[in-house]
Amino acid sequence: MSSQVMRQPMGLRLSSAVFLAFWCLIAAFPILWITVMSFKSPVDAYDSNALNVIFGPATLEGGDGLSILDVLAGIAVIWGTFIVAIRMMPNMVRSYSPSGFQWAGWVIGALVVVVGFIVVFFSVLPTIMGVLNPLFGPLGRDVIGLTTEHYSTVWIDRGFSKNFQNSLIVTTGVVTVSLTVGTLAGYGLARSGSNLAFWILIVALVFRALLHSVLVAGYLPVFINSAEWLAPILGENAPTLYGKPFAVIAVLVAINQPFTIWMLRSFFQNIPAELDEAARVDGCNHFQAFRRVIMPVMWPGVITTGLFSFLLGYNDFLVTSLLLDAQNQTMVPAIAGMFNRETTTTDQVVAVAAAVSITAPLFLLVVVFQRQIVSGLTAGAVKG
Amino acid sequence: MKLKTLMMAGAMSLASSVAWAGCSYENAVEIKSLSAGFEAWKAVTDAMAECGNFSASLDQEFREKQPEAFAANPSLYQIGGVANGTLVPLLNAGTIRPLDDLVEKYGQNLTPNQLIKIDGKTMAIAMMVNAQHMMYRSDILADLGIEEPKTYDDVLAAAAKIKEAGVVEYPIGGTFKTGWNLAQEFVNMYLGEGGTFIGEGNQPTINNAQGVRALEVMKAMTEYMDPEYLVSDSTYVQQQFQQGKIAMANLWASRAAAMDDEAESQVVGKVAMASAPMGAAAPATTLWWDGMVFAANMTDEQADAAFKLAMEGMDAEMVSANNDAAVWLITGYTPGKLAAGAAASAANGAVPYPASGPMGVMHTALGNGLSDYLTGAKDAATTLADIEAAYLTAAKEAGLVD
Amino acid sequence: MNFKTFAAFVGPSVFMMLLFIAFPLVSVFSQSFYVTQPIYETVEVESCTPGFLKQTCVTEERSMPILDEDGEIVTRTEFVGLQSYANVLELGRVWDAISNGSWAAFQSIDFWKALRFTLMLTLVTLPMVIALAIVIALVINNATKAIKGPVIFVTLLPFIITPVIGALSVNWLFRGDGILTAGLESWLNRDIALFAQAWTIELLIMLYRVWAVVPFAAIIFYAGLQTVNQDSLESAVIDGASRWQRLKFVVIPHLMPLIVFVSMIHLMDTYREFEAIVGFSSQGHVISLQWLTYDFLVPDEAGNRSISRASASAMLTMVGIIVLLIAPLRRTWRDHKGGH
Repeated sequence: MSSQVMRQPMGLRLSSAVFLAFWCLIAAFPILWITVMSFKSPVDAYDSNALNVIFGPATLEGGDGLSILDVLAGIAVIWGTFIVAIRMMPNMVRSYSPSGFQWAGWVIGALVVVVGFIVVFFSVLPTIMGVLNPLFGPLGRDVIGLTTEHYSTVWIDRGFSKNFQNSLIVTTGVVTVSLTVGTLAGYGLARSGSNLAFWILIVALVFRALLHSVLVAGYLPVFINSAEWLAPILGENAPTLYGKPFAVIAVLVAINQPFTIWMLRSFFQNIPAELDEAARVDGCNHFQAFRRVIMPVMWPGVITTGLFSFLLGYNDFLVTSLLLDAQNQTMVPAIAGMFNRETTTTDQVVAVAAAVSITAPLFLLVVVFQRQIVSGLTAGAVKG
Repeated sequence: MKLKTLMMAGAMSLASSVAWAGCSYENAVEIKSLSAGFEAWKAVTDAMAECGNFSASLDQEFREKQPEAFAANPSLYQIGGVANGTLVPLLNAGTIRPLDDLVEKYGQNLTPNQLIKIDGKTMAIAMMVNAQHMMYRSDILADLGIEEPKTYDDVLAAAAKIKEAGVVEYPIGGTFKTGWNLAQEFVNMYLGEGGTFIGEGNQPTINNAQGVRALEVMKAMTEYMDPEYLVSDSTYVQQQFQQGKIAMANLWASRAAAMDDEAESQVVGKVAMASAPMGAAAPATTLWWDGMVFAANMTDEQADAAFKLAMEGMDAEMVSANNDAAVWLITGYTPGKLAAGAAASAANGAVPYPASGPMGVMHTALGNGLSDYLTGAKDAATTLADIEAAYLTAAKEAGLVD
Repeated sequence: MNFKTFAAFVGPSVFMMLLFIAFPLVSVFSQSFYVTQPIYETVEVESCTPGFLKQTCVTEERSMPILDEDGEIVTRTEFVGLQSYANVLELGRVWDAISNGSWAAFQSIDFWKALRFTLMLTLVTLPMVIALAIVIALVINNATKAIKGPVIFVTLLPFIITPVIGALSVNWLFRGDGILTAGLESWLNRDIALFAQAWTIELLIMLYRVWAVVPFAAIIFYAGLQTVNQDSLESAVIDGASRWQRLKFVVIPHLMPLIVFVSMIHLMDTYREFEAIVGFSSQGHVISLQWLTYDFLVPDEAGNRSISRASASAMLTMVGIIVLLIAPLRRTWRDHKGGH
């Protein structure tokens, strides 16, 4: 909106700024709050006085705290990471990754940022601050109670990293399979005007409306007994599907298919059909046309849809808690288990720390892919 | 959390699978277990894991998975953790094995109290008992000159006094969360009044004077509770105690240790344990046990190994390391001050939870139906009649009633 | 595109949906007309359970299922027609309640209680979500470029956060003396218990729902705003249209397809509300249809579950969704026919 006539009166701009600030507060508050809680001793975390939760007097008494200097340095590092992730990394990925392998560039870039952040924030920063704090007198004295002990309890004593790996396996599987299957179907549906295509879409929509709990309860006995009923087909090696990540991946992909094909279909509809028709005139069949013409331009939509698949796989509770056993358990059921166990208040704060831990990767994902989400949606993935 | 510790953790998790320190032998047969996830199970399964080749699923969905998993052939888990109620479906389906020969072979350290017998055959090995009993703030009651409450009339009188004196705003705490917890409170009260739940031909028998009396006492208590009682579970009541917000509660024995936990409790040493208040017939509480069962669908060799491993988990060494985590039945347990309430309730004649197929249906019907009375939507007789009707619908569907 | 190519493209997806959704759906549908139950016999059983110091033994009559020679429970399956539906709907009690003119009695019947709240939740939050999301999208679009990125990031937070965790954290903020309740109390200077009565819980659930869904809608609308035709906006300005008129006659019509899309997703997802009931443990006061089905399905301690009633309730819920979706579906049909 560059033109003069579009300029807005001061009052409107002010009120919209106030509204925006208010909305951001509401949107972020619960998450911010549990993050603050997770760094406090149990007495502070559940204190009914908000200031005690923020400043953590009992935690400070326990000898864990941060100085003003620590806080400033910490904010600087987080801000730096944010800038790197949102500005520098996308540019570097674009300029350095060979064409066609951009996705690999994104994966590597994201990994570098994560590992870099963990190293700097948890290792380099404490070391530097350990040296600097005594030099700065009052600025270096602990003022805010803060302890990372709950995080070390979660990740080291409780073996949460195992759950993290499992989540990673399931989520990666769901995203890859779901996109592969969904892209093909979405393209097919977008380019076919037949009534069958329409009915597939409608039935898919009704499927999306189904209650997951009903479906999943139906799978459980079948999955547990699969070694018996698969034996006639697969012989000795018939697997027990219960507790197998690949079985859960298949279920999650299927449950997510309706949404995926709807999104990708509307996205492909916005790619002019003339493009692939031209390719077919040049002698390509449908699959070649898809690979040569459509694949290069479909990434914004696919990334956006992929993000939704990611969220589904990563956040799922119902399917993963019922169909996986402890050895393969993902993070969400593990956390729900922590909350529901007979717990002490300390355990509850540990569970809060776990809850914050699982949102961290989501944060990062959004930071990295934010632009793709918006541009993917803009490109028409949600035409309706 | 330094990077080094992270690395160490990684290395340790690799190492832990090969270490069996603290176990008297090395387990060679692969064994898996499925149980609930509370502290006592963690203690026992950790002790078992020290012998190697053992993996434990501490799963909050175990109730749903266990019957199916044990019915598979071979069973997906060799060892199951059960309680009064969760034993029933496994017993009904015949998917757990009698243990008498194994007890004879490896069970030298078991006490007769631990052997759960059905028709003379040992079907499960109990490791701990649990019961709800009275916990109260001895300092508050002493200051106001109130005796230890023996009945619910005493409790209500004490609550009135405490409220009047303004010591705490809500004198009573209760695990009244809708669903299982609320139903359990009714079960306690109703058994305390001497009622029975199921009669001839699995017909419900709760719509009577004892049922109404149990409801009325519950409602009277809610007057002195935090008004959000319908969402308060054991952990919440425990926190209310720890933060000094309540003075009395009929709370689980397994929660007693938390009152004296200096890291989180503000009332260390001030909470006394006593018997559950008496109803007309018995203390208003039920005795629960937790223990292990062993799958029928496994080889005898596996059963041997599983049982031996279980004995290693339930040994005196584990108990002495986790003495206050539960009221253990295992030799080597020293009942402390914290177990006094459970002991007193048992001495006063507390009965075991009357677990059975119909009772499972009844418990669910109670859990869903009781809140209507407490919120004032229905009167006592209507509430009980509606619960009986809900029970009958479900029991018919389950085939328990013709 | 000929049928063979079409089938090759769509095949894997359709196969997965058939296997994991359609097949279970058919079995749910058939289960809603049958009841499968074990055959019980009454036997006298002596059982001994641990007491505190010594065992308690009782001998009593018990119903035990009969096992066949393979050790499997003998069951019988009976066609019951619409009996399970009748058990869920409890029409007899509905009739009594209506003839007494008692709303309270009507609302004490589980299914109708759940339906009332589910519909209310769905229909009340819909306009709230759409309106709030449009405002947020407009405001973000209006913001200076430098803060757009961070603001979008913050806006997305409630959407990406694991639903179970989101509901729990809102729960902590308000339950008992949660800090927001404490804040409200000191502001209004009176005692507040938000989880003590039905209407406050309903309000909280609605607010939670709006909080959780608005980001998704807002981002989609924001994306839609990027493609508003600048020429038509400017010509509207030249024609002297006020800011409000431009919004009403240019921007909103442009966003209309997206509004339909968001409404559809929102209707479907809210109609299935489940997490909030569990997260707020509100079942004593308020329940939803999906929760009701789930409750039938979860086995009790003794392993009994009401599969038939769960199936019936799931089918009834599905019928409700189809009714809600008829309007948007007709639009899709027109698009489909028009688009080719």
